Amino acid sequence: MMNKMTDKAKEVARELLEKQEVDLVIGWERGTFEDKTAPLFMKKPEDVERLVINEYIVNSLATYMLHYKTHGGKIAIFVKGCDSRGIVRLIQDKQFTREKVYLIGVPCSGMKEVNENDEMVDSPKCDGCTHPNPVIYDVIIGEEVQPKNPENRFKVLEDDLNKVVEERWSSWASEYNKCIRCYACQRICPACNCRECIFVDQSQEWIERRVDETENGTYSLIRAYHIAGRCVECGECERSCPVGLPIMKLNKRIAKDIEDLFGPYEAGVDIEQNSPLGDFKYDDPEEFM
Amino acid sequence: MKSINKQKLADVLTQWSKGYAVMAPVDEGSAASFKKWEEGKEVQLDKNSTIPAKNIFFPQTEELYDYKAGKDSLELAEAIPIKDEMIVFGIRPCDLMSLEILDDLFLTRGYIDTYYKAKRDNAVIVSYLCGEPCRTCFCESMGIDYQKAEGADITMCFDGENFGFIAQTEKGENLLKEIDLLTEERDVKLSEKQELKLKADTEGLAEKLALMFEHPYWDSAYEKCIGCGACTYLCPTCHCFDINSHNRACGTGFKTRCWDSCMFPDYTLMAGGHNPRPTRKERFRNRFLHKLQQFPERYGKTACVGCGRCISKCPVNVDIVAIISQLKEVDINDQQGMDRVG
Repeated sequence: MMNKMTDKAKEVARELLEKQEVDLVIGWERGTFEDKTAPLFMKKPEDVERLVINEYIVNSLATYMLHYKTHGGKIAIFVKGCDSRGIVRLIQDKQFTREKVYLIGVPCSGMKEVNENDEMVDSPKCDGCTHPNPVIYDVIIGEEVQPKNPENRFKVLEDDLNKVVEERWSSWASEYNKCIRCYACQRICPACNCRECIFVDQSQEWIERRVDETENGTYSLIRAYHIAGRCVECGECERSCPVGLPIMKLNKRIAKDIEDLFGPYEAGVDIEQNSPLGDFKYDDPEEFM
Repeated sequence: MKSINKQKLADVLTQWSKGYAVMAPVDEGSAASFKKWEEGKEVQLDKNSTIPAKNIFFPQTEELYDYKAGKDSLELAEAIPIKDEMIVFGIRPCDLMSLEILDDLFLTRGYIDTYYKAKRDNAVIVSYLCGEPCRTCFCESMGIDYQKAEGADITMCFDGENFGFIAQTEKGENLLKEIDLLTEERDVKLSEKQELKLKADTEGLAEKLALMFEHPYWDSAYEKCIGCGACTYLCPTCHCFDINSHNRACGTGFKTRCWDSCMFPDYTLMAGGHNPRPTRKERFRNRFLHKLQQFPERYGKTACVGCGRCISKCPVNVDIVAIISQLKEVDINDQQGMDRVG
């Protein structure tokens, strides 16, 4: 049970703040209900009392490092497997240096959440998780766990195998009709780290604020392609989507295509390994050129 | 009361569709929003719509006019406000109250928004009273009885098997006459009211907030907010919009107004590059001050109906009920170091 790690987590966080090794620790606290948590920003040792580790710490905190990348001091941050991959990607993209963060690893046995029908279920985002343990950390607060069902990594793509292009497009078109362009998927994403995002800066008119199938599709596809090879498959975009779009289906499709073209690759697992799309090798396939 | 079995709901909607555009919460798989009902479309009544009913009267994207600019000329063609008679079917008491709030904004103080008014004047409201509220509902704290619907033309209740209709206005009576052949006399009772899990007390809050613009509470309250627009777009009372040009070939194009969100970095960004709300902190503060202080000061009511959509859909659990209670507790004179209470 993950909540057994709370005491150890508090001890580590308190010590870091007391010894002033960091000036901020980012973790989780209880949210509106017992099965909800919210990101917590601890600056004083007494703030640590609010820290919790349980099966509801669903938020990836990696994205917050983008809010603090110009912060002067060192920051400690709790990371589950997927979150740690987000951190690796951000370091690879030179958003901040490895020395700037102190990573507190949380082995993760999978998240739970209350779904639309008020039933407690395993978080869909954890299905097919290949790295439940942090891939990089300074300290780890629990025993490492085995991945539950890594073979399900691309399971979500199975639906589409027998569909023709027109069918796939029409199902995406109906999804895009639902999109309200709140940009939750983009704001929560640890791979979205452009200094100036074309969706934020409306003055460039790359995309219109008008909400319809065309503009929404343009947004969704540009975003999907832009994070190709950088998406760590944490599923935060899909979890955050208020209208429930199957965003990870698109991201997993691209991840699968990258594997098919360039061989096994998972973003944010090995800090030394470049993304196939951000690297050049003489034997790269070129049949699409 | 006039009643129909749930199997006959589509017949009622079909009958009404003959003379009206019936706007109903249409289930689109992972979300529901008010759309024009057509045969075969599933109506979602068991829980509140994902997108609030404001979308009917104040759509996310609304065309205002077309333009054509020549060398020495400019032609404008104004979009004609939609004046079709419509039925708003299945709107819940919270969203109904939000229309009163939007009315204040769009129809009073010497300015009338013709696009909003045309739709509002031509709508007959059939409100769905709540049997079972959600766990994120706190409408009672905002002065709403979730089993009453003031301002509706017809109230509708459901007991799991049958729908019951009660006309509240003459318009409503006329509408019920149109389905006379489909209904039968039967008593339909709502399940008993439950105590809501969440409660918010806004008594005296507007006055307190008027003195809290620079309070250190805001220095930490905003930190978890990622600055997406989910809360504002799903809010039945949020009403910010901006006007956009859509330039097309040869000097033509059209203008729309689209929902805007105070959570976005380009909200209130000025042409010269200045932004009075430069960081997430000022934008976060704006959202709560607008709802809890500025709107009450101007219109005498809180711009929140307690529907709970922002709480249930915020990806990082920014919780307006918790924020209200923290704001009530904060020591107004503590101008330093107060990180947070509660």
